[in-house]
Amino acid sequence: MNAAASSISAQARIGPPQEPVRNRAPWRLALVLAFAALAGGILLTGVSVWFLGAVALAGLTPAALTFNFHVPAALIRLFALTRTAAKYGERVVGHRAALTDQVRRRSTLFAAMAAAPSVRKAGWQLGNQDRLADYLDDVEDVDYARLRVSLPSATLGVAILLLVAATLWIAPLAVVPILLLITVNTVGAYFLASRADADLAAMREGRQQASRRLGAAIQAVVPLQGERRWALMLEAPFDGYANAQTRALALRHRQALFDTLANCVAPCAMLSVLVSAWLSGLRGEALLVPALLAFAWLAVGESVLGASKIVVAFAREKRARSTLAKWNTPDGVSRKHVPERISSLTLDRLPRHAPDGRLIGRPVSVTFNAGRPTVLHGASGCGKTSLLKQIAGWLDVGDGCVLSDGIGLDVDARRAISCFCPHDATVLADTVRENLFAPHASDDELWSALSSVELQDRIRAAGGLDGWITQDVLSLGEAQRLNLARAWLSNRPVVLLDEPTEHLDTEQGKRVLDALLHRLRQRIVILSSHDELTPKGTAAVRLQ
Amino acid sequence: MLETVLKHRGKRPTGANPPQAANPGAPAPGKTLCVARGLAAPGLRSALALQATRAMLRLAFIGLAAMFVGRMISGNASWLLLGATLVSLILGSVVGLVADRAVANTELKVANGLLEALRRALAAALPCDIQAMPLGTLIAGLQRYPQAVADLAVGHRLASTMLGLGPLLAATVIVAVSWEAALALVVLTPVMIVFFALIGGAIRSGADAQEKAFGRLAAQFADRIRTLPTILGNHALSRERRKLAVRLDTYASGTMGVLRIAFLNAGIIDFFSSLSIAMLAVLLGLGHLKLISIPGFTDLQLWQSLFILMIAPEYFAPFRRYAEQYHAKAEGLAAATALDTLVLAAHPQSPAFEAAMVTRDLAGAASLLPRTGLVAITGPSGSGKSTLLRHLAGIGSAPSFDADFDTRPGIAWCSTDIYVPEGTLGAAIAWQNDPCCRTRLLLAAGNVGLLDDVLLPGGLDALIQAGGENLSGGQRVRIGLARALISGRAIFADEPTAKLDPGNAAMVRRALADAACSRLVLVATHDRSLALLAGTTIDLGADNRQTREKVA
Repeated sequence: MNAAASSISAQARIGPPQEPVRNRAPWRLALVLAFAALAGGILLTGVSVWFLGAVALAGLTPAALTFNFHVPAALIRLFALTRTAAKYGERVVGHRAALTDQVRRRSTLFAAMAAAPSVRKAGWQLGNQDRLADYLDDVEDVDYARLRVSLPSATLGVAILLLVAATLWIAPLAVVPILLLITVNTVGAYFLASRADADLAAMREGRQQASRRLGAAIQAVVPLQGERRWALMLEAPFDGYANAQTRALALRHRQALFDTLANCVAPCAMLSVLVSAWLSGLRGEALLVPALLAFAWLAVGESVLGASKIVVAFAREKRARSTLAKWNTPDGVSRKHVPERISSLTLDRLPRHAPDGRLIGRPVSVTFNAGRPTVLHGASGCGKTSLLKQIAGWLDVGDGCVLSDGIGLDVDARRAISCFCPHDATVLADTVRENLFAPHASDDELWSALSSVELQDRIRAAGGLDGWITQDVLSLGEAQRLNLARAWLSNRPVVLLDEPTEHLDTEQGKRVLDALLHRLRQRIVILSSHDELTPKGTAAVRLQ
Repeated sequence: MLETVLKHRGKRPTGANPPQAANPGAPAPGKTLCVARGLAAPGLRSALALQATRAMLRLAFIGLAAMFVGRMISGNASWLLLGATLVSLILGSVVGLVADRAVANTELKVANGLLEALRRALAAALPCDIQAMPLGTLIAGLQRYPQAVADLAVGHRLASTMLGLGPLLAATVIVAVSWEAALALVVLTPVMIVFFALIGGAIRSGADAQEKAFGRLAAQFADRIRTLPTILGNHALSRERRKLAVRLDTYASGTMGVLRIAFLNAGIIDFFSSLSIAMLAVLLGLGHLKLISIPGFTDLQLWQSLFILMIAPEYFAPFRRYAEQYHAKAEGLAAATALDTLVLAAHPQSPAFEAAMVTRDLAGAASLLPRTGLVAITGPSGSGKSTLLRHLAGIGSAPSFDADFDTRPGIAWCSTDIYVPEGTLGAAIAWQNDPCCRTRLLLAAGNVGLLDDVLLPGGLDALIQAGGENLSGGQRVRIGLARALISGRAIFADEPTAKLDPGNAAMVRRALADAACSRLVLVATHDRSLALLAGTTIDLGADNRQTREKVA
């Protein structure tokens, strides 16, 4: 209840997601080209039919010899070329505009996400491949919305309006059935959009739930196979996936129905125009202009193909926008002056919180001194990582209880002075150099960092400092040592190491950690360890 | 006898590498695709028949409309013709709707069939193979790949069949009016195909070049989002943001280069389609004016020339639809390959001979285990305690997953990786057990020290988050033990005391020893105090690989 209320108020505060400045010119050009392509198509068909009708009528009379066919024939060729060229141009320009938007939007989005508080909470949810895939779908739905929704619907809408106006002028009777059909289709589109919204939400929810179950089952595969419940446990998630597919099928059926309706508009309009012209007494040559209009309607019908896709893309965009809006918090990055050295860091009756805000144990009071690393011990689950995150300013509780050399530190200051090495640190798909996060360090320094964590041979084999590495090419132990190399190179006065020897074998862990602590001997170093690791010259604090 | 077991086990890789290379009879690439094609076959024929019918009705509508208009302009409006036009329109729409639904239904059948095949493959896979699968990729793939493969096996397949059938139908209809005009269209086709081939090659080489140049930048945005906490932890946000913008930009311009060529594909079809209308219109017009005399283009009625003019674009429509499926093809193939490597091909049957040996030996070893009492498997880390425990439980022995033939008594497993449902502690303990009263739950939870755990306050009503995220390893082990105590089955426990503080460890040891009075309790442990309580110890010491059995 509370959480819901606060999330609503948070959304209200944030307001609509801020859009990056748009590049209007390419979009305008794309729109113009789209109009040109559609107009070319309409006129090509319409004028061809008019021309054939005119020459056929003229061919029956002596007028055939004086008929000027050069102008219409040239026009027809012109329209054919316009249609082809404009369509190609529309595609190229539209995609370029969309890609340009995409680049801007994504880098803005990246900054917005970085400011979101949940990034620093336990378990970064977009670190999961499946969540990340959903997120990327959302981003892409928004990225291409203009290309998939705005551009085609604007073109189509204007073309239909113009044709309705022309019909009103040339064959007014035909407007009645046409408007009736358009109304039916608008209502259909409205219903399809709202149902699509519900269907997409249900599909995503169903798939996520199934994925959570499957993930939990796979984590527990050994116990479940031991208890012979493995096959049984797989049923619920796969049923969930199948249900989502069935939901998708229902949506496609609705789409098919809407497409059928939409595809009837143009042919019906064509026949209506012709019949109404005939009924109002037009004959022979006088029928040529209504015929042109009728076939223009038919040409528009070609563009209506796939109307349901536009509607569904619209629904997707709406959903995606509201999902992404969650991430759009005001950018609160403030530059803090980072002191070069801090000689002591004091926790003064710091209440300890779990990531979910729950209190753990008793408040903790302890002073960490530069030159004497401190190991936090305690059983798993006693809040070692959470305490490190509190000190690092990753959990924004405990203002006023963390003092450096006697001065209270707020969240931003704590973030600024500390280098926090989470135990599940990741490897960026980038060069080794960039992965070390030390842009100002010399190559020699980088190599000595790598050799102190015993990675120099591995990195040399992977192509040196400018070799490209990804998460997959490094083993867990190698990734962990790379992470320790980052701490080795860090220039922050406080270094926080969460389970630094995880994934390393005991001997190597000891060697690497000793080297690292020697390097950081002037700094305040706090590390956590679930086994009874106590390197030389360290103090130990046991958490209850 | 246990020694033999271990020797055999030693041959099997127990690490993260599934034994792919060891299997010469590995399924040929494209197993997923074969399965999908097999699933699609029954629905495909009727869907194809419906699509062909729709195409014919569409041609009928256009032809009839052209006749109606032509006659009307010539002076006699035939209401019969109008009626026929409307009927063909309505029939065409209805058949189109049915066809679309049939395609969707067939795709659903394929997707769900694939899911079912994947479920069976996963159910029969060995734990080490399953743990070796990249979990996130697997889950993301299960959500998306079956549909992508179904698109390829049904939608793309239909489009490529219609590519042969559609133009043929259109040409046939035109022959009815003027075979020369039909011939003109057919002659254009090879020219178009040459263009297609040329551009297809250009696209492929362009895409390859782009892959070479920018392949690394392809997923930079996703990667930076994934690694965001690490970036923040190292104070690298502004640098990464600048870098990301530059890289996205580079990648976007590379992509544009490929798209520019790829759009030529659709452009060519447009060009030919537009050109054919323009040429035909002018030729037919000149024929009407009797300014030229080409057989098949002169002496036509207005409705005949309109007929040719309107049907001609339909000749090109299937090409366009096929070109639009290009993306579906690439995606479907990628999805099929991914599923092949992820699940369907990733677990070749373990070599049958070895499996049989192991099973027979294990049956012997298992018969050595007492009906009641505490048995400890000890030894230094890496000596195979957990592996032996798993095999004594029958995990991974080949035929054990056929529930019908599985007659071994049930066991209860207890380790840090047990399954914990979302909900309350009470529900987690009662999970998969017969319904039992709260008192028994309280007793079991109290026996393992879960009721007064300060880190999990609330007793039986303590909240457990999805996936047990708020539980520590020690808490999970104790939940598993409480569950096992209630179940009354034999208990197999993997390092039950490793993650516990001394007080809780003592409590767990006592609970295990108590349970051993009435049933078999088998523990793999390096906890001396626990091993001392055991009636039988299987020592897998590294120095002497012999199995010592000490019977107290």
